[in-house]
Amino acid sequence: MIMSDDVLVRNNVKIIGEGKSKTLFFAHGFGCDQNMWRFLIPELEKHFTIVLFDYVGSGASDISNYSKERYGQLEGYAEDIIEIFEALELSNAIFVGHSVSSIIGSIAAVKKPELFSNIIMVCPSPCFLNFPPDYMGGFEKEDLKELLDLMDKNYIGWANYLAPLVMGTTNSPELIGELSGSFCSTDPITAKNFAEATFLSDYRYLLKEIKQPSLIIQCDNDALASKSVGEFMAREIVDNELKVIEADGHCPHMTHPDVIINSIIEYAK
Amino acid sequence: MVGKKRPDFNKVDDYSLDSFFCGALVTNSSRKITYVNSYFTSELLWKPGELVGQNADVLFTPSSKIFFQTYLVPTLLHDNVCKEMHLVISNAQGIRIPIIVNARIDDEGSIYWSFFNASKQDQLYEELLNARKVLEEQAQQLKLLASTDELTGLLNRREMEYRSDLALNQAERSHQTVGLLMIDIDYFKKVNDTFGHMEGDRVLRELGQSLKTFCRKTDLVARIGGEEFLIMLPDTDKTDTLLFCGRLHQTISNITINNRPLTVSIGASVCKETISFTDFYGQADDAVYKAKELGRNRTEFYSKH
Repeated sequence: MIMSDDVLVRNNVKIIGEGKSKTLFFAHGFGCDQNMWRFLIPELEKHFTIVLFDYVGSGASDISNYSKERYGQLEGYAEDIIEIFEALELSNAIFVGHSVSSIIGSIAAVKKPELFSNIIMVCPSPCFLNFPPDYMGGFEKEDLKELLDLMDKNYIGWANYLAPLVMGTTNSPELIGELSGSFCSTDPITAKNFAEATFLSDYRYLLKEIKQPSLIIQCDNDALASKSVGEFMAREIVDNELKVIEADGHCPHMTHPDVIINSIIEYAK
Repeated sequence: MVGKKRPDFNKVDDYSLDSFFCGALVTNSSRKITYVNSYFTSELLWKPGELVGQNADVLFTPSSKIFFQTYLVPTLLHDNVCKEMHLVISNAQGIRIPIIVNARIDDEGSIYWSFFNASKQDQLYEELLNARKVLEEQAQQLKLLASTDELTGLLNRREMEYRSDLALNQAERSHQTVGLLMIDIDYFKKVNDTFGHMEGDRVLRELGQSLKTFCRKTDLVARIGGEEFLIMLPDTDKTDTLLFCGRLHQTISNITINNRPLTVSIGASVCKETISFTDFYGQADDAVYKAKELGRNRTEFYSKH
């Protein structure tokens, strides 16, 4: 059995602002780590207790706990979340997930409904593949296979310079430079495995099973999760609110932190 | 000297990038194409003048666009150059062509790209990647074979020893108690002698399955000899171990041989302090002998006599 302390070390769990009445639990997306939330923390810690962590295989997690089998599908990452909640004896928290983590959180939410009171999804997508005419995830299977191939072929160097997917193209080079590179360095093998689990999965069926009230935050120009994906999710999740913000890219919590801070405070207060 | 003209080494010949059999491309800071050499018309079949003024996205496949944004641009911003990057472009007819890119960015944000067709190198990569995949799968398969008992699918003795050591170390760190059970099927030799080895194997398989279903995900379950099984119960004290054994006897009795329920003798021990696996195992082994001496179909706890 994995002991509580081991889980907290394994997943590099950080708790900020203990003792507040509500807890925000932040789950980072593919190709990054808990640092991606850093622009939100100074303001949000005034209002909430904040829990941050890295999935095993990302950031400063303990990579000796990595298992290709467990982390070959999103359920393995959801187990990380469930085990952290158990280790912290935490329940009824507000889950905030970026991109694929919205889906990982949803898996955990369906399996253990008591963990989350609400779910906030930042740029989520339940499936990146196109299934015309009903669903357009944005990519053909061939494109996603090619993306995974490119990760293999750029094996040397790729994961050291991985910018959070995707900044968008109209944000300034200074901003992209500041946001990328130095802090998202990750192991190429685990990143590739995470990418496979992320990009080739289809969790559309899961959305109807989410019982928690949810907030979907979508950017109006996002190459990875288009507005139609957000609208699809809003139709499927029983109790939800869809908020489309004027932003370019897939990481509004980094490019437009104030908008996201206000949305979270307004929704969670 | 008269008559013969010397070669003029100072003369600069009017070579151009069109003479080179590789792609040369310049994009400005808003990603618009500002220059292409003739490679784009001769080899990639674009019409002359068709590309200049267009967004560079027109050249790249969707996956390469993602790489462009998440890898190439950050690399250029950090290092001013990027070397040997693999990308995929489309020619004018939409055919995908793997390329290797070197690029440099200047102070104004213009990117100077040079690239080579990498179709053959790409094939080599494919083969290497496939070879890696096959080797990984084989290694996984071998690891599984080396760590499990073929008949029951449970851990084998060697793997049990290895994992038990880890579990005991972990328990020591977190000051938790661990239970260990040695399970021995009662009169198993008779089953083999009376009903044959096929029937004996069926009983072992069913018992293995039943133990696997009955135990928690975190318990370690192994077949360590002919009719001997070992279960390690992390974070379990003496009371819970006894309860567990009681329920285990009940579950096992659902397996029948010639319409009679299967019974086992269990030797149990619980450790609170540092102990080696060998000593812990010895304790459970002592206890199972005691259970057999006292009439079988029961659980006995290890005691220091």
